[in-house]
Amino acid sequence: MNDDYLWNRSGPPDPDIHRLEQLLGRLRSVPPLPHLPEADAERPRRRGYGVLLATAAIVLVVAGTCRTMRAPAAWEVASVAGQPRIGSATLARRGRIAVGETLVTDSASQARINVSTIGEVTVDPDTRVRLVATRQGHHQLALERGTLHAVITAPPGQFIVSTRSATATDLGCAYTLHVDEDGTGLLSVTAGWVALTFNGRESLVPAGASSRTHPTLGPGTPWYADADEQFQDAVYELDFGSDAARRAGALHTVLERAEAGHAVTLWHLIRRVDAADRDALVDALADQVAMPAGVTREAVLKLDAAALDQWWNALGLGEAGWWRKFAAPMPGPQQ
Amino acid sequence: MAHALELACGHRPLTYPGSSRTADPTRAIPDLAATVRAVVSGDQAAFARLYADYVRMIHAILLGRVPHRDVDDLVQEVFITAYTRIRELRNAAAFGGWLATIARNRATDYRRQAREPVELPAELPGGDAIESETLAVLDIVRKLPDAYRETLLMRLVEGMTGDEIAARTGLTPGSVRVNLHRGMKMLREQLGVEPAQP
Repeated sequence: MNDDYLWNRSGPPDPDIHRLEQLLGRLRSVPPLPHLPEADAERPRRRGYGVLLATAAIVLVVAGTCRTMRAPAAWEVASVAGQPRIGSATLARRGRIAVGETLVTDSASQARINVSTIGEVTVDPDTRVRLVATRQGHHQLALERGTLHAVITAPPGQFIVSTRSATATDLGCAYTLHVDEDGTGLLSVTAGWVALTFNGRESLVPAGASSRTHPTLGPGTPWYADADEQFQDAVYELDFGSDAARRAGALHTVLERAEAGHAVTLWHLIRRVDAADRDALVDALADQVAMPAGVTREAVLKLDAAALDQWWNALGLGEAGWWRKFAAPMPGPQQ
Repeated sequence: MAHALELACGHRPLTYPGSSRTADPTRAIPDLAATVRAVVSGDQAAFARLYADYVRMIHAILLGRVPHRDVDDLVQEVFITAYTRIRELRNAAAFGGWLATIARNRATDYRRQAREPVELPAELPGGDAIESETLAVLDIVRKLPDAYRETLLMRLVEGMTGDEIAARTGLTPGSVRVNLHRGMKMLREQLGVEPAQP
């Protein structure tokens, strides 16, 4: 038995273990972070103060509710390393970023932003991020370059990050988003889901999956982290390549290497290949997830939205309508 | 500075420069004690970080004990319980073991409340041959001793590495290695397959 492969997938794959990974990997699932109740507060022990404390509590709750509902127009920012800047001002330890202001980190600095009352964003070195909007139920950053890590506890759809190549709408939890100077980006979701939209193109990226973004073409097809490099290369070619021969080779690679658990990738690619190539992708997806009753092959090949959505629903990643309910409208390039 | 996630695709590789917090699933929480303290003080974002780092371990523990269809719901219940009781955790470094215990207890309660508490209800495949095979293998894994079962499910279902399993569970890497090796050996025996020759 190849213990190295069993330990961390290094070394030559053990065929039995690889087969078990493929089989049992189908059971992998990351449910979204549940809405959290208020944690138990320490209770006062002196009865004499009961009425007074109750009154105070009501006042605090009302005040807190009003504060939450208003959502502050500026967010707290803390320096994690070095000296980040907000506009032209250097951030020594703590500060605030207002709508329209830009937080900039150099190669030696890092910062953490409290996203109103709904989560936090860690801003890595060499990053520029602008606060676009913050109000009840809508909080938006623009990532101009660099990397941020978002952990959001709000209901889906409230936190949005726009880049030159996609708009990322948080559907509950944690992800990392990177964008280069030229707008090329990479999203990796660690928990929950993220919807990427741009110029009429959408990608629904579940936990454990990543998706590239292209400055003119928008979001690419998601792939799971266990997909090998050749598979990822091929997906990239099908998403963004234009050479017919290379695309044909890429399709062949995807079909050859598609394993159980790659249904999300295959589903997205159906919309992104030429009509003549759809048949093969439909077959490959059907091998993994049966076409639901009521969905016809003809409808899928014609890219009928309802048919594709029904098939998506059968993947076990939530209803397509749920995703879209919260996803931001599909914008053009960020100004 | 070094990256933590680099996807070399034959195109321009994208990296997350200078990051200590990335999408790398094997990363450890930089300061677990501080994160737990933040949760105790009501910081839900800190709890979301714990959730992201430990959800797969809990999913694996529950999958080994309760029907597949109910695992996701129970995962959420376990984390809600942890969130509301985190003040009871005396040693933040033991968070992983403490959380795992909540999950095991929740699975025990689930089975106790079930109408047929003696045996875990057989999974009901939807007719897909691959799904049937998957659930059949899962049933075999579930019959392995606890330590082997949990470790194997973390590795084979959740895709965690040995190091990551050790970091999350609090087991030593040596124990995890033994559990993986022995568990895999028993699983092969149950499945009737011979180990591949080196």
